[in-house]
Amino acid sequence: MASLSYRTALKIARQEMRASSGKFFFVVLSIAIGVGALTGVRGFSSSFRGALLDRARSIMAADLSARMFQQPTEKEEKGLKEIADEHIEITPVTELLSMASSAKTLDPLLVSLKAVDPKKYPFYGSVDLQPAGELKTMLRDDTVVVAEDLLVRLNLKVGDSLKIGDHIFRIVAVVTNEPDRLSGNFAAGPRVFITQDGLDASGLLAPGSHAGQRYLFRVPKPGNGAPISESDVAALKERLEKLLPEAQVIDYRETNPALTQGLDRATGLLSLMSLVALVLGAVGVAMAMRAHLEQRLDTIAIMKAMGAGSGEIIRIYVIQTLLLGLLGATLGIALGTAVQMAFPYFLGKLLDVPTAVHLQVRTILTGLGAGLLTTLLFTLPPLLDIRGVRPVLIFRRAMEESNDPFVTALFRKLSKNASQAGAVVLILAGLAAIATTLSDSAMVGEVFSLGLVVVLAVLLASCAALLAALRWLLQRTRLRLHSAVRHGLANLYRPGNPSAALLAAVGMGVMQITAVFLVQQAVVRELHISSAPNLPNVFLIDITSDEVAGVRTLLKGQPAVNADPEFLPVVSSRIIAIDGVPAGEAKLKNFPKRMLQTISLTSFDAPPEGTTVTQGEWWKAGETRAVVAIGTRTAERLGVHPGSKITFAAQDEQFTATVSALTKSDGQHTFSRAEFVLNPATLKDLPTVWYGGAHVDPNRVGEVQRALFKSYPTVTVINVAQALETVRSVVIQITYVIQFLAAFSVFAGVVILASAIAGTRYRRIREVVVLKTLGATRARIGAVFSVEFAVLGLVSGIVGVGFANVIARMLLSRMSVTYHFHWGWTLGALLATSAMTIFTGWAASFRVLGQKPLEVLREE
Amino acid sequence: MPEETVIAVEGLHKSIRNGSRTVSILKGIDFSVPRGQFVAIMGSSGSGKSTLLGLLAGLDTPTSGNVHLNGTAISYLPEDRLAKVRGRTVGFVFQSYQLVPTLTALENVLLPYELNADDASFAVGLERAKQLLENVGLGDRMDHYPIQLSGGEQQRVALARAFILQPPIVLADEPTGNLDTANGSHVLELLLDLNRKEGTTLVLVTHDPVLAGYADRRIVLRDGLVVSDERSERAAELVR
Ligand SMILES: Nc1ncnc2c1ncn2[C@@H]1O[C@H](COP(=O)(O)OP(=O)(O)O)[C@@H](O)[C@H]1O
Ligand SMILES: [Mg+2]
Repeated sequence: MASLSYRTALKIARQEMRASSGKFFFVVLSIAIGVGALTGVRGFSSSFRGALLDRARSIMAADLSARMFQQPTEKEEKGLKEIADEHIEITPVTELLSMASSAKTLDPLLVSLKAVDPKKYPFYGSVDLQPAGELKTMLRDDTVVVAEDLLVRLNLKVGDSLKIGDHIFRIVAVVTNEPDRLSGNFAAGPRVFITQDGLDASGLLAPGSHAGQRYLFRVPKPGNGAPISESDVAALKERLEKLLPEAQVIDYRETNPALTQGLDRATGLLSLMSLVALVLGAVGVAMAMRAHLEQRLDTIAIMKAMGAGSGEIIRIYVIQTLLLGLLGATLGIALGTAVQMAFPYFLGKLLDVPTAVHLQVRTILTGLGAGLLTTLLFTLPPLLDIRGVRPVLIFRRAMEESNDPFVTALFRKLSKNASQAGAVVLILAGLAAIATTLSDSAMVGEVFSLGLVVVLAVLLASCAALLAALRWLLQRTRLRLHSAVRHGLANLYRPGNPSAALLAAVGMGVMQITAVFLVQQAVVRELHISSAPNLPNVFLIDITSDEVAGVRTLLKGQPAVNADPEFLPVVSSRIIAIDGVPAGEAKLKNFPKRMLQTISLTSFDAPPEGTTVTQGEWWKAGETRAVVAIGTRTAERLGVHPGSKITFAAQDEQFTATVSALTKSDGQHTFSRAEFVLNPATLKDLPTVWYGGAHVDPNRVGEVQRALFKSYPTVTVINVAQALETVRSVVIQITYVIQFLAAFSVFAGVVILASAIAGTRYRRIREVVVLKTLGATRARIGAVFSVEFAVLGLVSGIVGVGFANVIARMLLSRMSVTYHFHWGWTLGALLATSAMTIFTGWAASFRVLGQKPLEVLREE
Repeated sequence: MPEETVIAVEGLHKSIRNGSRTVSILKGIDFSVPRGQFVAIMGSSGSGKSTLLGLLAGLDTPTSGNVHLNGTAISYLPEDRLAKVRGRTVGFVFQSYQLVPTLTALENVLLPYELNADDASFAVGLERAKQLLENVGLGDRMDHYPIQLSGGEQQRVALARAFILQPPIVLADEPTGNLDTANGSHVLELLLDLNRKEGTTLVLVTHDPVLAGYADRRIVLRDGLVVSDERSERAAELVR
């Protein structure tokens, strides 16, 4: 055997695979499930996220919006035109307050005009009309569509005329859903849609009118059905921020914090799940390949005795590994594709989102590459071990046999063996590279790669410590223990026992599965809070102090109102100076000076619901000095921090308040509108109006509106029920998908672990047979294995579940989700691990137990 | 008959399906062995010696025919019953030792005792295990694991293990096959010595004519049939 040709190597590799197909079944299964979970979860979540993101975009009706505070300059106009030339669609939206009146009665009413180009607006979502129709066809230069509120107040109906400015428009429909209602101004007065040309014709756009101008942008969808790339949106945002320095540019994710957080957390969690699936698969492969190579030691020794070099033998097993990896990865991709197809079917009842599945070549290639690469990486150390096999093994096999847990062996060999060290570095680098490629969330990738290294080290140390403790215990008690228990324990602790590798592998698997579970639970919990069904979806503006009690009673009496209404006192004010610097000279970031003139102040003794303090401290109830809490982003724009002093003016009074706390609100409550909260004593004597918020059955808002109008005609009702329903349904769908995919990854993980455990049965056959020859009954052998597997399960469970809590905590804190330790889940996971190991250990050994001794002994 | 039969083999057939073909390994074997006899089973490689010995110990099921150990027909007993019978009546020595790697030498020797002795007084078993290990010259290696012992030492542990329950029958399949001459004869001496001391019936598979020369009786197999079954003169002398 001067030199082994690749063809011969391939032949030998294939023959071996055929000969022990049972064993390789577990290798292929591990890879297949790992890759299957990877492609399934990634593929499905990417198509699904695409669908969800489209819905999320409908809340802004665009990918990006730029809110202008003045007319664009010539240079800006040119820049916008360049952008439009790159197939990015742009449409202007103008909002302003105006008086409108019925053409018959001429009663004036303050309305909130919104001028759009109906051919383009909205880019996402739809403006729903009653009678049903499309905005495109219904809204023309001489027509308007209006909020029902307007009809109620002016006693009009569809078909009547409405006078705006000096033009008369025909009302053609009532607006039942305005997709981007949440992102506009919450101005007093019912909504009236008008075309841009109609607005021009009305003559209202006189210079100096306080019209708010926004541009909406839509990034073109890639042709292959893939979702719009996030980076395209981010790039456009950056470009717009440069082009329009005075404008506030936001992307659709910023419209609603609940939505953004939901999406971000889902992204993080899904990344975690993909990585976990991958590593679990790799663990399965490593376990099975190692067992395989151990059994091949004889063959390897014989081949060496016949003059084969290590390189040639390694070639055989590399080919074998690649074949197995390819087989497993291909199967896995088929599995993942099937899973992707099956998900929408299972989820169909829960989701009303179109879940068209696009098979993405990239996802498939990633799956294939990741599968092959991890298989190869994890078989590298045992492959390198081949070089250490000496031909003498044929004669004295037992003396040379070494089946240390691979990582222990790895670390031990590190000192002796540079190439092993290289292999370790390669594995870690490879895993980190795979993790980075796969992870849509860099944070998860980072935590994960780092975590993996640390966890491996600690897991190993704990296993070693535990085994040492076990050994100590056994040496003390050795012959006093019941022999089945002693034998079971001895199986675990024998120096260089492969059970130790299993211990580490199972511990790691349990850790990952439990981490996914814990993170998922915490994320879902928070999502439930932010999609709670009773959050206010109708806002009331301009309630006088005299009216508040009455409005509250009225709302409480309405059957369509299903939560206590919230009320927010507001004092109109302006900022005179910041830290002694007059407002006119203050350095502000993205905050037009004009806006310092219209600041709404409110007062609470404690942080209102949904608001949390991020910096500084809230004051004690009954505080008499003037103190103020400010929203973090506003504070940034104003350049203030706890301790800064802001001078406000309200009516004729001026007062200086000390910034006491910076706050963050969840955007879910009426109170979220309060950017400046002062202590009640300071605002006590100032004229106050109230804002209100209530949750109304989305289908019955009109009813409540009419009732309010009858008793309190000056109170404006702003209906965001539909928009909030969209947010809520997206968040709920995220929740479902997360739960579903997490359940799937946990299941896949358990299958892989189970197969890793089951794969060890090949090692047990001989032992079982020897015991049988010596007169052991099946029950007795079963008892020995039960002890072994119970301890294995408990130990790897304790280590794995413990670390899972640590990792979950780290990830969650990075996602700013609160972590809670749960005894129930922890104990549950522990018990589940033990049950799983005992059960699979048993199930796998069962066939072994029934085997006739001689058949096995003959396989010497 | 003055002799008490411990092993009786009747019409033993064993064939194995190999793919579509059926291979006949044992083609009808009959013999019986009286208490205390030392039988050598000889024959070329592949003649069916190991298969026969396995059937004698109930490690496999014959295709037809039966094996009686101490009057009990064992061949078709359920696994667990068989394990019990085997544990109490047969000590087995393998060519490749077959020690349990997770247990020390002492524990390996003790194992059959723990598995089978009804009146398991642990102290008694422990004493006997230690004594046996002393006898095979491993008194100072009791706490070693198989992996830490040489082949010859491992086989001596296996011998001690085969004798701990004072089984009426010891079956040994080329026990010296994996050992060098010195170690081989050492193991053999021990085997014979134990056989003599404990009054055990010994069935030994061997290639070695010298070794077989010590036996009371030689059974030669060829192609799954007994082709010769003769008592040695020395054996005749020894039989009372
Ligand atoms: N499981 C089996 N499958 C196929 N052939 C077998 C099997 N077991 C034994 N044989 C064949 O039966 C014959 C006898 O085997 P064995 O009893 O081990 O012989 P010996 O121990 O005398 O060398 C051999 O030719 C062997 O190849
Ligand atoms: Mg043989």
